[in-house]
Amino acid sequence: MSEQYPAHAALPPSLQDLILDTTEHRGQTQLSCKAPNHRSLLENFRHEQGYDFLVDVTAIDYLGKDTLERFEVVYVLRRLGARRDQFRLHVWLGESDPTLSSVVDLWNSARWGERETHDMFGIVFEGNPDLRRLLMPEDFPAFPLLKDYPLTGRGERRQFPRVVPRGDQMVEEEPTDYPTSIGRGMHTPEYIEEVERDSKPRK
Amino acid sequence: MGLESLMGGEGFLTTTVNAIVNWGRKNALWPMPFGTACCAIEMMATFSGRYDISRFGAEVVRFSPRQADLLIVSGRICIKMMPVLQKIYRQMPEPKWVISMGACASCGGVFDTYTMIQGVDQFMPVDVYVPGCPPRPESLLDALFEIQKVVGEERIDSGKHGS
Repeated sequence: MSEQYPAHAALPPSLQDLILDTTEHRGQTQLSCKAPNHRSLLENFRHEQGYDFLVDVTAIDYLGKDTLERFEVVYVLRRLGARRDQFRLHVWLGESDPTLSSVVDLWNSARWGERETHDMFGIVFEGNPDLRRLLMPEDFPAFPLLKDYPLTGRGERRQFPRVVPRGDQMVEEEPTDYPTSIGRGMHTPEYIEEVERDSKPRK
Repeated sequence: MGLESLMGGEGFLTTTVNAIVNWGRKNALWPMPFGTACCAIEMMATFSGRYDISRFGAEVVRFSPRQADLLIVSGRICIKMMPVLQKIYRQMPEPKWVISMGACASCGGVFDTYTMIQGVDQFMPVDVYVPGCPPRPESLLDALFEIQKVVGEERIDSGKHGS
């Protein structure tokens, strides 16, 4: 089965040894390897075999499952033109050091996928020049797609100052039941001064 | 034909400043729409011809909070949007009122997840809630009437108006 897939068959023997497993399900091929080895495989796919399009980078958290490692980082590769096909490379990654080398230098589209995967799973892609939060607020303290993160969060959704009327002004009260606040970037002293000036009635 | 026919020949009207100011305010509310989800579709329907909120004096929809006195929060508010909503609310000049339209804005609706604010009234004042998922335009019109009642009961010497 594994020899049938062209991307696997075209690898030199030394790189073929890095492939742990090949599965095919309903026409979708999946290769898997261990964490540091993904780099040389992906370089071969990019430069030698012409996989010019990285469709997506994402991850799977196998917490509590009997798997090789906790995380699997998934690269979906496609090549266009006469030899067009698509497959996935699954990279096993341990939870003690969830760090991978970035492939931004191979595919520019990895910037977004790696950034989202970092945002959701906390996986660090070394070499990615812009690994900021993508979907969550910049100061969000958790990685929400981890399986041990509760669906309703750990109270982050209550960590906002309360805007309450006091006399003729609106003031911000810090929440007493939660010590910190997220989204504070917008509530700088300059901002508070600005809105207090603006929200006062003109006499 | 109108009010003037009841005033007699001299055109005098006896009232209080409070009553006349509130009468003016409640019949010329300028809404600021804050639509983030399907409730906003119903809100737009309420503003447009078939339901026509302008029959009740609230047709001047302002997309700048500095020109509005009624904030209509219609839709899901996530944790990234809440500071924006608070900023917009604070940019509105006094006096101002808030309608929380629909289940999501009022209590989070079915979205009991880590990103969703479970009711905007946790973090800012709300005057009238509209139930529904989404509420029909008639419900929003009814909320406007409720806001008009709230406005009609304001006292202009209260702190709300900056006096």
